[in-house]
Amino acid sequence: MRRLVLIRLAWMLPILLGVSVVAFVLMRALPGDFAQASAGTTELAPEALNIIRRDMGLDRPVWEQYLRWLGKLLKGDFGDSFTTHKPVLGELLPRLAVTAELTLIAGLMAMAMGASSGLASARWRGRTDWLVRGINGLFLAVPNFVVATLIVLLAGLYFPEVGIFNYTPFLTDPLGNLGSMLLPAFSLALAVSVTISENTRAAVLEVSSQDFVMVARAKGLRPSTILWQYLVRNALTPIITVTGLQLASLLGGSILIETIFTIPGMGQYLFDAVSGRNYPVVQAIVLVAATIVLLVNVLVDVAYARVDARVSYE
Amino acid sequence: MSERQRLGGGNAMMSVGLLMLASLVAITLFGTLIAPYNPSETSADSLAGPTAAHWLGTDSIGRDLLSRLIVGGRTTLLITFVAVTLAVCCGLVLGLFCGYVGGLADQVVMRILDVVFAFPVFLLAIAVVAALGPSVPNLILTIAIVYTPRLARVVRGPVLSVKRWDHVEAARSVGVSEFNIATRHVLPLIVSPVLVETSLTLAQTIFTITALSFLGLGPPPPDPNWGAMLSEARQFMELAPLAVIGPAAAIVFATLTFIVLANGLRERLDVASR
Repeated sequence: MRRLVLIRLAWMLPILLGVSVVAFVLMRALPGDFAQASAGTTELAPEALNIIRRDMGLDRPVWEQYLRWLGKLLKGDFGDSFTTHKPVLGELLPRLAVTAELTLIAGLMAMAMGASSGLASARWRGRTDWLVRGINGLFLAVPNFVVATLIVLLAGLYFPEVGIFNYTPFLTDPLGNLGSMLLPAFSLALAVSVTISENTRAAVLEVSSQDFVMVARAKGLRPSTILWQYLVRNALTPIITVTGLQLASLLGGSILIETIFTIPGMGQYLFDAVSGRNYPVVQAIVLVAATIVLLVNVLVDVAYARVDARVSYE
Repeated sequence: MSERQRLGGGNAMMSVGLLMLASLVAITLFGTLIAPYNPSETSADSLAGPTAAHWLGTDSIGRDLLSRLIVGGRTTLLITFVAVTLAVCCGLVLGLFCGYVGGLADQVVMRILDVVFAFPVFLLAIAVVAALGPSVPNLILTIAIVYTPRLARVVRGPVLSVKRWDHVEAARSVGVSEFNIATRHVLPLIVSPVLVETSLTLAQTIFTITALSFLGLGPPPPDPNWGAMLSEARQFMELAPLAVIGPAAAIVFATLTFIVLANGLRERLDVASR
């Protein structure tokens, strides 16, 4: 087990290196001058620009710039924000915590909704199956920001007393914080739950057609025992995998949802950074998000191996 | 079975999908002709409800919503169609090359693609648009960059198995060039999964494009587009709910079209569900 984790983590290193190259190139390939962008103005004397360039090391060869940048990155230095001139990392971490909470709640919601509807669909077939799949098909076509906008519209029209833009920090009011996260998390979770639901259904149906389930039925085990001990346990693997793989879309979606519900998370930070051409922030967020996705993929692999004894990576 | 039968008949899902697609294509091609008003033309009655003159009402500066919806659809769909065509072409070339040639070249390209897969799609799209600047050509380029790796992977898989089939060996033994084998004897056999994936990519692209526009990173004004319309309508949503519901319904309809089409194709062409 430990070896598996180590191998997986080691595999991450070259990919992370590639990710850092992409992030570096994205920001250096900008139209216009990086030094100008960092000064936030186009009306600088050429001498002043040259000084900024020398300070930032922009007069050196590109590969040397990259190595210097990477070295700082490894020490946790993501550079300074162009707008506030404070280290990006300090600004990013509290926002990352908010986004992590939103994503976690949304992930759990999606898992609960997806697994239960998929299970119901596979267990009862017939009309339930038809209904669940119909609803799934429709919900799959409703993007999360449309769900969020419609929720905001409905609340505004019919439930004006529900404060949907009242984000409360966790430390001041934990319960109020959870309450304010529910609707945003739901809009984020809906589309993801469809994927989980469809995969759960397929997995349960596949397992239920296997011989050992038929034996269990033949020897007269109760249907509920078969469902929980045999089917659900074996269908867990795909559910875990799919949920883990959907993390990327949850993280991407949180940008939209946080902007709509005015939640001060990483997504809103990114949105502000993009509109304000605050490139170090964009770069830092892209790096952090990619790292999280990679880490979760490793976790999914490990969880996969834990749940399913047939999986081995030797 | 004729080609037409193979792609069209006998599948309700497929027929519905094609019908929906036809309406989207009609809007894309003839949007400016169908629209009853000039979408940028303002009038005195702003935020009006539905009337005989303005079926869906007007927006905050008195522009006809239905016209904006139709012309906005044209912008959104045009970018989507062109971008996905580009991504599919690049994905086909890359996937066919990697799968067919194999070896070191394949390994190198696939490891590079692994890097791209590490980024959440939407985040990568935002970063690329932020770097390039929002304009129609840049949006098309962004979508192509983001989705080409996915399509390449979908193409590569089946190519790996098809290239070992007997007819490929037979073609090689009678001296058909490697290029012709790849394009004439392998490519036609992998069309089915690529068609299904193309349809799914179209659905995802509608999401990405409208979401980028929603955040203000879409095609620049004054041309309307669904994402920006939805975002702008939020300001006056209690006064003019139709201004929110209109673009929302349009986005859902377009996405649904390609999902239905993908399911129809999958059933029709008997592609194993992922």
